[in-house]
Amino acid sequence: MAIRIDYLFKETGQNLVRNPSLSLATILTVAVSLSLMGVALLVQRGVDRINTSFKDEVEFVVWLDVDIQNEQIQAVQNFLDSTPFVDSSDYIDREATYEEFQNFFAEEPELLQLVEPDSLPTSFQVKPSDANVELIRELGTEIETIAGVSDVEFATDNIKAISDFSQGSSTVMAVAALFAAGAAALLMYNSIRTAVFARRREIEVMRLVGATKWFIRIPFMLEGLLQGLMGAFLSIFTVFAVNRLTDSFFTDLGSYVFRDFAVPNLQVLSIGFILLLIGAAIGAVGAGVAVTRYLDA
Amino acid sequence: MIKLEGVSKAYPQQDRPALLDAYVDITKGEFVFLVGPSGSGKSTFLRLLNKQEEPDTGRIFVAGKDIGQMSGWKVPMLRRNIGSIFQDFKLLPTKTVAENVAFALEVIGRPRGVIKSQVPAICELVGLGDKMTKYPDQLSGGEQQRVSIARAFVNRPLILLADEPTGNLDPQTSIGIMRLLDRINKTGTTVVMASHDRGIVDTMRKRVIELSHGSIVRDQARGVYE
Ligand SMILES: Nc1ncnc2c1ncn2[C@@H]1O[C@H](COP(=O)(O)OP(=O)(O)O)[C@@H](O)[C@H]1O
Ligand SMILES: [Mg+2]
Repeated sequence: MAIRIDYLFKETGQNLVRNPSLSLATILTVAVSLSLMGVALLVQRGVDRINTSFKDEVEFVVWLDVDIQNEQIQAVQNFLDSTPFVDSSDYIDREATYEEFQNFFAEEPELLQLVEPDSLPTSFQVKPSDANVELIRELGTEIETIAGVSDVEFATDNIKAISDFSQGSSTVMAVAALFAAGAAALLMYNSIRTAVFARRREIEVMRLVGATKWFIRIPFMLEGLLQGLMGAFLSIFTVFAVNRLTDSFFTDLGSYVFRDFAVPNLQVLSIGFILLLIGAAIGAVGAGVAVTRYLDA
Repeated sequence: MIKLEGVSKAYPQQDRPALLDAYVDITKGEFVFLVGPSGSGKSTFLRLLNKQEEPDTGRIFVAGKDIGQMSGWKVPMLRRNIGSIFQDFKLLPTKTVAENVAFALEVIGRPRGVIKSQVPAICELVGLGDKMTKYPDQLSGGEQQRVSIARAFVNRPLILLADEPTGNLDPQTSIGIMRLLDRINKTGTTVVMASHDRGIVDTMRKRVIELSHGSIVRDQARGVYE
């Protein structure tokens, strides 16, 4: 009882051209919703990439009081060595600090003359074992309570704000995409229901002469699948374009934080693959439900 | 071939049952008329036989099988053994005569070779060998009914159900259709035909089952309309 390929193509083709404006509307709705979903995925990958590329830069600086005692320095050192949250730490003594200071203000010698090496605070350069911003912040607060510590300076504040914002907008977009996907599935359902209605006489005859439900269902599901796939293809172009624009925007801006935000083409392709799967599923399932509900009514 | 044991059927929101406690036994190769006024339950009787409707009580056997016990996915197989024709023909207006007939074979997955050989043969049999490329609206009512008979018979069913097939036709044309159904019956196909056409029933002199308000009030061999 194999379904014949030429029969399938004929039926599916006829269905698609029977109501071109509805087909087009369905395809575009799928395209819009999948584009939203694709961009949400892009942002998510972008945030991941930012977080990864700044993993090595989450170090923080523990500034010590200028008049700190040697035992206190030792106590801070002991704490940093014993806590599992610290990967490594470097003590920057007066000379090293002064050297850095000299490099930094090389253009302004009059400022340099004002500074005595003895008046400079020393510090620990700390590399945490985990890039988790919350953990690092807790660790910093704890260190600040140790005697002789004047301040803990985080380099991660900006990055955290940015990644929070991106994560948030990605969530918003994912929710919007979910709603859009629901709308696409509904329109798909409606589109196929209209196609089913247009062919109700054929379906009546088919049932009468003993066509199986699957035989009746498959051309419609194929039609939905095709519409879903076409919408998905359109959305892939959109996602590619958005990624390109993002890349050139941040490159032109010379943004340091966002330099890695746009994802490589291969990752866009993997997003595209996901979109194709979702488009196909929305199409075939929406159509299948529409026909089944008609056949079982 | 067909057996009803105490079959009743009432439609929702209808105070009177459409069919009431029907006992019928039809053997293979019989030609049976269902007669009775409009609304007496003839169409319901026929629709119960190919599971377009389900009975409320009683059991229905077709070709020895209790179709009430039949699982849903087997219903298409049942219908492949039961051809149906109607007063309004139910032809597809966008398809030619040959395509309408071929459709019935296509949708049950018959191979192309079978379709190529069967369709012209059956069109010839019903007397439309020269009209295979015509569309339904280019045919007379009698010719359209012949197409629908060809479609119902092309798969060589065991049973042919006919629901007032001459209802829209003039007496002369109706006689032609009855001759065709008689020929099909002679090939061994069991025919059950609902009709309230007195002239036809009286000339054929076949078994007559009379329905009144859903009850069988007469079951007579070589009977007349009344
Ligand atoms: N689909 C239906 N829904 C509700 N009532 C129906 C339906 N079909 C038939 N009936 C009722 O069942 C009774 C028998 O109808 P039917 O079997 O069509 O009789 P006939 O074919 O002899 O005219 C009538 O009273 C009719 O109104
Ligand atoms: Mg009727």
